[in-house]
Amino acid sequence: MLEKPDKLVRYDPGEYRQRFTFFFWVILVAVCLLVLRLWYLQIIKGEDLLKRSENNRIRIREVKAMRGIILDSRGVVLVENRPSFDVVIFPEDVKDLKGLVEKLETLYAKVNLTFPMDYETILENRRPFTPLRVDRNVSREKLALIETHSLELPGVGIDVMPVREYYYGEMMAHVIGYIGEVSRDDLERDKSAGYRSGDLIGKFGLEKALDPFIRGKAGGEQVEVNVIGKKVKTLGRVEPSQGYRVVLSLDSQVQKAAWTALEGKAGAVVALDPRDGSILALVSRPGFDPNQFNRGITTDLWEKLSTNPLHPMENRAVAGQYPPGSTYKLIVAAAALEEGIITPETAFNCPGHFEMGTRTFRCWRKQGHGRVSLHRAIVESCDVYFYNVGKLLGVDRLAEYAQAFGLGTRTGVALVGERRGLIPTREWKLARFGVPWQPGETISIAIGQGYNTATPIQLANAYAAVANNGDYFTPRIVQRVETDDGEIIEEFRPEKKAVLPVSQENIQLLKKALWGVVNEAGGTGGQARVAGRDVAGKTGTAQVIGMAEGDDGSSYPYEYRDHALFVGFAPRDNPEIAVAVVVEHAGHGGSVAAPVARKVIEAYFAGKTK
Amino acid sequence: MKVDRRLIFNFDWMLVLFIALIVGIGVLNLYSAGHGISGEPYLKQIRWVLLGIFVMVLTFAFDYRWIARYAYVVHGLAIVLLIAVFAVGAVTKGSQRWINLGGFSMQPSEMVKITLILALAKYFNDHRAEKKYGIRELVAPFLIVLVPFVLVLRQPDLGTALMLMILFGSMVLFVGIRIKTLLSLVATGLLIIPLGWNFLAEYQKERVLTFLDPERDPLGSGYHIIQSIIAVGSGGIFGKGFMRGTQSQLKFLPEQQTDFVFSVFAEEWGFIGALLLLVLMLSLILWGLKIAQHSRDFLGTLIAYGVTMLIFWGVFINVAMVLGILPVVGIPLPFFSYGGSSMVKMMVAVGLLMNVSMRRYVLQS
Repeated sequence: MLEKPDKLVRYDPGEYRQRFTFFFWVILVAVCLLVLRLWYLQIIKGEDLLKRSENNRIRIREVKAMRGIILDSRGVVLVENRPSFDVVIFPEDVKDLKGLVEKLETLYAKVNLTFPMDYETILENRRPFTPLRVDRNVSREKLALIETHSLELPGVGIDVMPVREYYYGEMMAHVIGYIGEVSRDDLERDKSAGYRSGDLIGKFGLEKALDPFIRGKAGGEQVEVNVIGKKVKTLGRVEPSQGYRVVLSLDSQVQKAAWTALEGKAGAVVALDPRDGSILALVSRPGFDPNQFNRGITTDLWEKLSTNPLHPMENRAVAGQYPPGSTYKLIVAAAALEEGIITPETAFNCPGHFEMGTRTFRCWRKQGHGRVSLHRAIVESCDVYFYNVGKLLGVDRLAEYAQAFGLGTRTGVALVGERRGLIPTREWKLARFGVPWQPGETISIAIGQGYNTATPIQLANAYAAVANNGDYFTPRIVQRVETDDGEIIEEFRPEKKAVLPVSQENIQLLKKALWGVVNEAGGTGGQARVAGRDVAGKTGTAQVIGMAEGDDGSSYPYEYRDHALFVGFAPRDNPEIAVAVVVEHAGHGGSVAAPVARKVIEAYFAGKTK
Repeated sequence: MKVDRRLIFNFDWMLVLFIALIVGIGVLNLYSAGHGISGEPYLKQIRWVLLGIFVMVLTFAFDYRWIARYAYVVHGLAIVLLIAVFAVGAVTKGSQRWINLGGFSMQPSEMVKITLILALAKYFNDHRAEKKYGIRELVAPFLIVLVPFVLVLRQPDLGTALMLMILFGSMVLFVGIRIKTLLSLVATGLLIIPLGWNFLAEYQKERVLTFLDPERDPLGSGYHIIQSIIAVGSGGIFGKGFMRGTQSQLKFLPEQQTDFVFSVFAEEWGFIGALLLLVLMLSLILWGLKIAQHSRDFLGTLIAYGVTMLIFWGVFINVAMVLGILPVVGIPLPFFSYGGSSMVKMMVAVGLLMNVSMRRYVLQS
């Protein structure tokens, strides 16, 4: 095949033996170098690098617990949870943050949305191994957008957060409250509570008061992720434990009636069961929508709420302090009877005014009531009668009884922000103002004016005490806390608070008079009457400032007009519901507050017969 | 053509055994590395192996002396293809390396490595110096490498271009170069490097810089090296087990079927496995050296030696790169990395080794 005799004949491999030896060693040394490096990486550094490979792929993710649901006494669901979706970025899975943000921005722009965070903000806020929420509470459309482009968005994920659905919104806002992200202060104040940054906690109302019960315990998930941070499989999971279920004493029907009755007004309604102190309704107007607080309220909205002159965030039912007005006469009467200052038959003449030194105190009825005894004085709400009684009784003895009725101290209801109200005494005035008590001031407080203030819940509870023949309770709004299976975790039993220092005989007398207010001719509370329910109660018109004789206040600016009050219970014998109504700057108790009370009482009995 | 019985008698079964073992392990490893990737790379690789075996048989069927006669022609053809790449080649990842040849695409830059060895072997065989080579005698063979070197560098494919130079250097060192010439060439080279730096593409500069300090940009170009080192190191002594490498199965490793295929192997089989593989590769290379040494003529020696160095440098550069002791230059691991051109090229190389080996006692026809 090869014709040409080549030079190969002269080839002597021996010449090249040295060179072969040389290359043999070069190759051997090179491969040894590789083996040494392998040894170093796999055996010396093996443990470290194994850990790094674990860090690469294993993530611990928190699984949020669902907050407990809240039910009313009839089992109606008041608050539930619904999932809310957040767009999150896992910082350690992002290689090019700037590019990623640009991608998200163009993606949002395509559907005419703006991506809410810019690159600098993200850079500032990212923390290692903490998912950063870049867009909260996103719509289904956005969710689909992110999901369909997930392959182009390494390190971007969707996180599900359970948020609250407050079915009754404004109507129960003050009772149930709202939640919000835990603040730095909360975190530092209560380290043992186990709150973590980003947690949602109760900020107001029962959400706050019952937070330890409702918030549950977050679980965790150990997941294996791939290079773009997508979950490949779950390695381990600790299920979160759901928050406990809360059953309230509240009746959503009564609550609704009270809320509707106050439509367009500012004020409060408290309805409770005198037999055990259970709160049936607790309304404060105006309200706010707790659903807006779910995922952090906007500054705009917060501004609006906090600068509103009507203070919608305040729970007037427990924090509103009002002069009790004529509703206070019940206590004055009880004190006077018990102290033997008057008998049921004691009568005073009412000419329409009362002279005390140089001052003149007017009766609400200009022409006067003539000669009246206790029953008529209460029924027609004669001021002059009580001026006389107050003068004889004195401020300190009256204060003793007022305190025995629970005024001047917190009732102890499990709601945040409850206030004391004020029952003045001689000592108090001297300490407070450094000036001795003036006798004329006693005349004012005898009809619930002057320094006297009380909260609607105090008034409701004071009347409930009379209704229940002297025994009264700490108002309770939560019946029990239980698991989903109904196993009781904590039961809030009725807590008897005190017994009125009033004889049964006198209590019956007072009840009869209160019944007269609503049901007898000439009674001021006729508008609270409910057929067949024997409503008993007392109207009140609390002055905000002194007014000229005969002035009904309609010419005054809103904030100077009288508060309208009605406090009562039904039925007179064996009462089941006590109601306190305060309508701010609305005029007379009989015409404005009494109808509200009537609607509440009607709703209660309507619900009962169903 | 009458088949000489000695050819069959001298058939190099040892070489076949080495190749069979390495290719077998390689396909197995690809099965794991390419798991979950569409198209199942290992299946395609098996097709390439079969094609490779066919080409290998073809390569050793004809006497290498006969093949060498056409060495310049074949090398010239390869250069034409390299030029054609610029005209009709496909661009992937920023460089133009592929050419479509009636249904399948190939990388002429892989093919040119073989033709370079053949051309240089022929040249040095035909122009044997009485003593060692000086600068004047090296001009012609340097042109043989320079043309494809420049073309490949322009693609740009730094790894292959460097490989061509390294092969040339290895050949020259073997045939003998005057010490003075060698020193002056090295000095020139050192002077050219700063100039060459400007010639590099941005990504290539980045790779070199990152090699010097991988943590410089841990999420950018240093990512490859870091992930590879983590993969290899986390394998420990015994490895994580077949198909159990978290770095590879979860796709933390970049280019894991091609350039970083060794990381997958080292992660799953540990130090023991990686050591065995390196020993196997070393055995193949040393066996190649032995074939070169015992060739019956100088041409055979040069061809066998050149081909052996091709395998050696491929293994060394790739593994060193994967282990972080050389920059990431994109040299595939011989017989292991996924890819038809590389596999076929290596099989041709083995065919040439076999060719020289089996004809070592055939003295005259």
